[in-house]
Amino acid sequence: MTVKRVRSGEKRLDFERVALPHLNAVYTAALRLARNPADAEDLLQETVLRAFRFFHQFTEGTNCRAWLLTILYNNFRNSYRRGTREQPAASSEEFDRELELRSALADQSRINPEDLLSGRMIGHRIEVALSALSAEFREALLLVDVQDLSYQEVADLLEVPLGTIKSRVSRGRALMREALRGIERAHGKTGT
Amino acid sequence: MECQEYIDEYLAAHADGELSPDQRRAVGVHLGGCAICRARLIEERSLKALVRQNAGIVKVPADVRLRIRAALGDAAEAELAAPSDPARRPERADRDAAARRPLFARDAAQMRQPMLWAPIGLAATILVIVAISAGLGSRGTRAPGAATVPAFDAAIGKYLADERNFVPNVPAEAFANDDGSVYAWVENRDSVQRISTEASDVFNDVARSYREANMPDDIFNFAEAGYQISGGRIDHMADGSPVTYTLYAGDAGTILSICFRDSSMAAPIGAINWLGMRSFYAYKGYSICLSFYPTGHYVSILVSRMPADQMIRDVAMADVGVIGH
Repeated sequence: MTVKRVRSGEKRLDFERVALPHLNAVYTAALRLARNPADAEDLLQETVLRAFRFFHQFTEGTNCRAWLLTILYNNFRNSYRRGTREQPAASSEEFDRELELRSALADQSRINPEDLLSGRMIGHRIEVALSALSAEFREALLLVDVQDLSYQEVADLLEVPLGTIKSRVSRGRALMREALRGIERAHGKTGT
Repeated sequence: MECQEYIDEYLAAHADGELSPDQRRAVGVHLGGCAICRARLIEERSLKALVRQNAGIVKVPADVRLRIRAALGDAAEAELAAPSDPARRPERADRDAAARRPLFARDAAQMRQPMLWAPIGLAATILVIVAISAGLGSRGTRAPGAATVPAFDAAIGKYLADERNFVPNVPAEAFANDDGSVYAWVENRDSVQRISTEASDVFNDVARSYREANMPDDIFNFAEAGYQISGGRIDHMADGSPVTYTLYAGDAGTILSICFRDSSMAAPIGAINWLGMRSFYAYKGYSICLSFYPTGHYVSILVSRMPADQMIRDVAMADVGVIGH
């Protein structure tokens, strides 16, 4: 019994060492997909357990975060097919603002008090600009900029051609810039 | 290369480090002579950084982390019970070799690993006491409603880890030997020390090893409640003080007992005697029994998944069967 426990522990320890450092990243993506914390938590747990079960298929040295996110997205798609989850609401601004706040709170140790106000304003504008993008552009940008995935990893994850991702990132950033300039102009006019 | 071509085709990929060596050379030539496109590249990278910073990573709530770790432990155990892929089962020879490996050698390797429990200690005890004094209502069986007790969280984390992967260094297997002698692994002594020639008795041998390490040997006896000792472990906290872990297992589940010294413990002001205190909590889905032993300045924390009322009954039964000083 002791020997079995130790062997069980080896796989679990390996998994915890390699995969669990990406738990926050997977949770962030799950929140963006599920759009509510309860579903995101379930999705995260399903993803971790599935990843553990198929951990022998993961090649050490490759991008574990991309591997975990692939499992997350597959779980998410399958749960829709099975009808066990409802599609998130089309309007997402409120949830995006909540995410922004959570992200800021998680990072508050790095925020100087004097920067807080301006930081919040920038954060809010970024979220507004992101929300103005179509879901495809926003998803590609977040996977590249926040999750640090390569274009190829995003293409594999979303099951679209590499050129499509390249185009979505390029176009998404251009639209972001336009949206931010629009927001800046609007704030300039109202003096805020 | 013209500016428009760079902006439309290469700018984003350049900022993301996605250009091929040939493309990098080509854009390098263009940027070398174009201040406008160099500025665009800087702007693109700034935007990328802003998105990263402001739409960044969200931390997993602590209770969700605990839940996932518990589920992971269950999954690991289920795999052992029914391996889905026979090809991945350990070979018989490997298993036998592992079984033959001296237990204390494995322990020595394990001892070098960082301890999950290490961050808590005296400060944690103080936090526990604060939580008790601040949060105990008349019912006395619940931890403060929405409050978090770091020491309890740490104890649950240790319980979840040990429940699945407990590596005893004073287990029953360490005591029985071919020549009939009984051995124990005792910290800061020879790796193996002969302590008896009598037949091994898990309960007494674990207690004896704790005594050798100057730790309380009056360990709980949950036999009446249906739990047997899986093994004991002597470790050290971050400050070097010893801590013992005793794992009990039965059909109903497992119990982990954690015992450590808190020299700051003092009797309430004005008290002429303090015989200790035992309190029970239902905390985040776990049952916890907290005991203070003022005589030796020890704190004991029991953690289990069993319902709190069952833990109260089991501890009451164990108190009857406890080995006294």
